[in-house]
Amino acid sequence: MNKSVISYGVYLPYLRIKRDEYISALGSCSAAYKEKAVMDIDEDTITMAVEAARDAVSGIDAAQIGALSLASANFPYSEKVMAGTVIEALGLNNNILTCQHGNSTLAGTEAFLSAMGMLDQTDQKYALVVVSDAPAAAAAVDLEHGFGAGACAFVLAKDEPGLEIEGVYARAGEAMGLRYRLPGETGVRDIGVKTYASQVYNETIKGAVLGLLRKMQLDPNDYSHLVLHQNDAKTAAALAKKMGFSEEQLNQGQLFSLVGDTGACSALLGLCNVLDNARSGARIIICSYGSGAGSQAISFKLSGACKNTRPVKSLLESKKYISYIYYLKLKRCI
Amino acid sequence: MGAHISIPMYQRAVAQRYRLVGQKCTKCGKINFPPKAVCKYCQAGNEFENVSLSGKGKIYSKTVIAGGGAPPEFAEEAKCKGSYPVAIVELDEGPRIIAQLVNPPEEGYSIGMPVEAVFRKIYEEEGVIRYGFKFRMAAQSV
Repeated sequence: MNKSVISYGVYLPYLRIKRDEYISALGSCSAAYKEKAVMDIDEDTITMAVEAARDAVSGIDAAQIGALSLASANFPYSEKVMAGTVIEALGLNNNILTCQHGNSTLAGTEAFLSAMGMLDQTDQKYALVVVSDAPAAAAAVDLEHGFGAGACAFVLAKDEPGLEIEGVYARAGEAMGLRYRLPGETGVRDIGVKTYASQVYNETIKGAVLGLLRKMQLDPNDYSHLVLHQNDAKTAAALAKKMGFSEEQLNQGQLFSLVGDTGACSALLGLCNVLDNARSGARIIICSYGSGAGSQAISFKLSGACKNTRPVKSLLESKKYISYIYYLKLKRCI
Repeated sequence: MGAHISIPMYQRAVAQRYRLVGQKCTKCGKINFPPKAVCKYCQAGNEFENVSLSGKGKIYSKTVIAGGGAPPEFAEEAKCKGSYPVAIVELDEGPRIIAQLVNPPEEGYSIGMPVEAVFRKIYEEEGVIRYGFKFRMAAQSV
């Protein structure tokens, strides 16, 4: 069975903080972005998920959605069926199949792959994938500087033209001490060895992307776009070059400098921006990354219409800047 | 003084609070929101058909809650923001509802301006998040 993404939706919070705010407050900023998206005090990963999903399903018959796959490494509850909240907010059928993925930033593509599997088990035509994330750490932790927020949603369909899923390949293995969180803690920790973190990031993503190319018998030149999970912009760009991709292939999927680290959303948000501008027939490869560590690469071919009501560009432009003090208030640090 | 809404009471209203489900009176055709036992317009109809409202409307009236005027469930938000705007929104389908406005434009906003519903945390009590609707200026979405 052929499976395609036929529509997608994106949500970015309205608030932004500039890197300069960090520098003037703290003297430095450990992440190299221009500005990043910040959730308002009345937002969480579920409210963002609902907004993105609403856009993705507008124009689609909700009664034909047979599965909901939800992902976030930062759900507002550690235990609760949050798919239920999304079902009620969207008015979906209460009898659909659901799943929730969390615990690492790999959750986004995991949810995507689960939805493909659930689509085989439902009589309905569509599956909805919603990925929403807002990584968190204590204000004193360097990692925190880069943490942004965002959400995206995709409608997967059986045997319909759209963004066709051509193939997947994954890699996972042990990598200790990188971005982890213990039960009961609200923020992530890291042993803070950058060279080690980059080395694991590079090896894991390379293992998935190059493996997928081999499996598909394609090479980087067959692709118009590459989208990598971005902990920071530089490491992703350097790795893309090492794997034989050009800056041009990478550019549109790089949103880190405008939204920050969006965790489980990272690669999928980049995909949305690519889709806003992609031409028919284009091949796209995306690769997620979760510390610990794992990566999943997915190859797509744009063989039909893939709709979006709100372009990522307009969401990036709709914003209000806040101060670092106000940011700390929103994070309930003061 | 706040008006405490118990979890069972909130739970019963999930459809209206999460996705603005209203009732269309089968007798007069007017839409009741929130749902009523007897139609508030014709005061005769007691049979209804559920309809999902669009969430689009315009500002009918507005105010700002400031200076400790917030009920306790909104105290945390008021403390963070200093004040927050509240409006009566007239929905396209007719009903008027009270809700908070999010991201009010700095240059001001006025009665009659178009708004649209957004899904937000309304407040948190007993560790349970109460989700529902607020409104943003419709122009922000374009």
